[in-house]
Amino acid sequence: MDRNSSAKSKLEILITGFGGQGIVLAGQVLGMAASLIDHKESTLTQSYGPEARGGACSAQVIIADSTIHFPYVRNPDILVCMSQAGYDKYARQLNQDSIVLYDQDMVRTPDISADCFPIPATRIAEELGRKMMANIVILGFVTAVTGAASVEAMIKSVCDSVPSGTEDANTAAFNKGYEFGMAVLKARRKKAAAAKGGES
Amino acid sequence: MENDLKIILFLCNWSPHAAFQSLQDTLAALPREIRMVRIPCSGRITKSLLFKAFETGADGVALVGCEPGTCRYGIGTSVAERNVEDTQGILELLGVGQERLGFAAFYPDQPAELLDFLISFRNRVAELGKTPVVSTSIEEQDGVSAGSSASIMAAHNIFTCQDCGKCSSACPVALSGKPFSPRAIANAVASGELSSPAVTEDIWSCLTCGLCYDRCPSAVSFPEFVRDMRNAGKKSTNGRFEAHEGFFQSLMRTMTSPGLPVRHWDWLPEDAQTDAGSKILFFGGCSPYFDTFFRNHLGVRTTEILADSIRLLNFFDINPAIMPNERCCGHDLLWSGDRDNFLKLARLNVEFISDMGIEEVVTACPECYRAFSRDYPEHGIETGFKVTHIFELAEREISKGAVGFKKSARKITFQDPCRLSRTTEGCELPRNLLNRLNVRAFTEMQDRGLSSQCCGNCAWTGCDSFSKAMQVKRLRQAKETGSDLLVTACPKCQIHLKCAMEDPLLGDEIRMEIMDLTSMVAKNIQWE
Repeated sequence: MDRNSSAKSKLEILITGFGGQGIVLAGQVLGMAASLIDHKESTLTQSYGPEARGGACSAQVIIADSTIHFPYVRNPDILVCMSQAGYDKYARQLNQDSIVLYDQDMVRTPDISADCFPIPATRIAEELGRKMMANIVILGFVTAVTGAASVEAMIKSVCDSVPSGTEDANTAAFNKGYEFGMAVLKARRKKAAAAKGGES
Repeated sequence: MENDLKIILFLCNWSPHAAFQSLQDTLAALPREIRMVRIPCSGRITKSLLFKAFETGADGVALVGCEPGTCRYGIGTSVAERNVEDTQGILELLGVGQERLGFAAFYPDQPAELLDFLISFRNRVAELGKTPVVSTSIEEQDGVSAGSSASIMAAHNIFTCQDCGKCSSACPVALSGKPFSPRAIANAVASGELSSPAVTEDIWSCLTCGLCYDRCPSAVSFPEFVRDMRNAGKKSTNGRFEAHEGFFQSLMRTMTSPGLPVRHWDWLPEDAQTDAGSKILFFGGCSPYFDTFFRNHLGVRTTEILADSIRLLNFFDINPAIMPNERCCGHDLLWSGDRDNFLKLARLNVEFISDMGIEEVVTACPECYRAFSRDYPEHGIETGFKVTHIFELAEREISKGAVGFKKSARKITFQDPCRLSRTTEGCELPRNLLNRLNVRAFTEMQDRGLSSQCCGNCAWTGCDSFSKAMQVKRLRQAKETGSDLLVTACPKCQIHLKCAMEDPLLGDEIRMEIMDLTSMVAKNIQWE
């Protein structure tokens, strides 16, 4: 199962969560990595306003090989959820091939057809010492699972965006999420191989 | 060339010796390479005696006894056959070849058959040629000299001992009832009584488990002090304190022969995948020898640990290299007073591993881990590769995520290996993994972690009834936890605790299933 989405010319990514979780920053890091470093096209549209303090919040990122004419996400290819409200609000916009990545301790997904990738992002961030790095952990996870931007670009983008002095901690958080993502993909491959072996 | 061959014939006093005498009386042409040693019964020739002949340069050994059923002592012949079979297994692993050791039984009236056997055995050995073993000589000496004891005391700060007795109150040997005290040894050495029993005897009773070091307010590293005292006084003991009549010391010394075509891994099951080109080496340790030596006694299966280690590495997509001519790491030689041969083994291993272009050595044996990561560098042998315990590697890989464990109905407890667990980090490593296991219960024993009790023996030295008492005590502690599986992390712990379970009087009271933590992890791990 190769989820390298670069094959697709346009990728719509929706990142949702509570205000304060760093959702917009996550969108910004991802978009900057894709455009400034990977030299693709990307847009970022943020939705906060009255939702900013603790309410639902979202960042819409589009990454494409050619010029983007419409900056809003209509049917996300990738939905990243860090809160239940964020999931509930956008789940119905998912299409057949969408994948959902979510913080497994924050979000419960009902039985949906989309491909789901859970990660305990907030817990991992807590173990690393700072709960607020959960957004960076999940970015690592997104990078591993979707390949929306390259790893090097993401790490550079993370370091450019976080407060100075926290680069090492945030890089560690990113790597942790990335490793987790690689492990999940590996686990899927192994289980698929085992199931195949079991049938024959 | 042929005349250089050395063949030892251990000849039973009874039936075969009568046949042998007939040959002598008739001036039969006995092969002149054969040197006869007359023995009371073939069953009295232990594996150690059989093996020591090879260690000291024999090209062939024949053990000749009475036909089964005619043994004067009843079981001599069957014991001899078992000993020969086990020793042949060891010779095969070493690449010396099992054909070099033969067993035969004769009636007194079979001189012709005996002569045929001797001639054909000589021819068989002549075909194999000289043994690849380079014999190591041991020089006798008069115990520890005053000069060497002074430098050892200085090196380990023995003079900072405050005589407080915390060591003796924690020492498992002392608590087993043996008149033994670490500080009494320190006092005797400090006052120059080098020939007192407190020095000459007691340094060989120490387990070097390190519990006293943990308790010592002056941080006197007693285990290392004892190790160095043993090295200084070794050659005066004549192997008196070695367990199993010194078989394992003999085995390790034999492995110092550089040209020995060791076949360490021939037994490895096919499903354990290895890759000769890998930069990661799995260093197994002496389990194949243990399983061969103890197979008729304890049914020990410690090679499972090695196979499961490789399976666990395979699970993480690592196909490690293995060293077909792997030698012992030398740990037990160093800790039983033979530093010279330890150094020879260490150099050989490092040379072989470096030649393979290895960057990281992974091992599941706490003693190999300690030898490679600490004892080699401390004795001036630079390794140039990274040494990782398999628990470290497993923890690193599992913490990446997406890995879980099958649900198991077992209730487990854990026996710490001294060589890993006497440091805080070493205690936590296995416990991280134990806590991840999806078992019904994990209950610690009364003595655990830094304070855990040794399995009763170390470096094949000083085994006696007090060792057994310690093992029984430990098994009772394990039973008290209400667990049905004792998890260990060292092949020796398994061997020693299983040995105590053979006690015919205690029987089921202390009998318990044992499994190594590596096997436990490898058998239950799965992708989530």
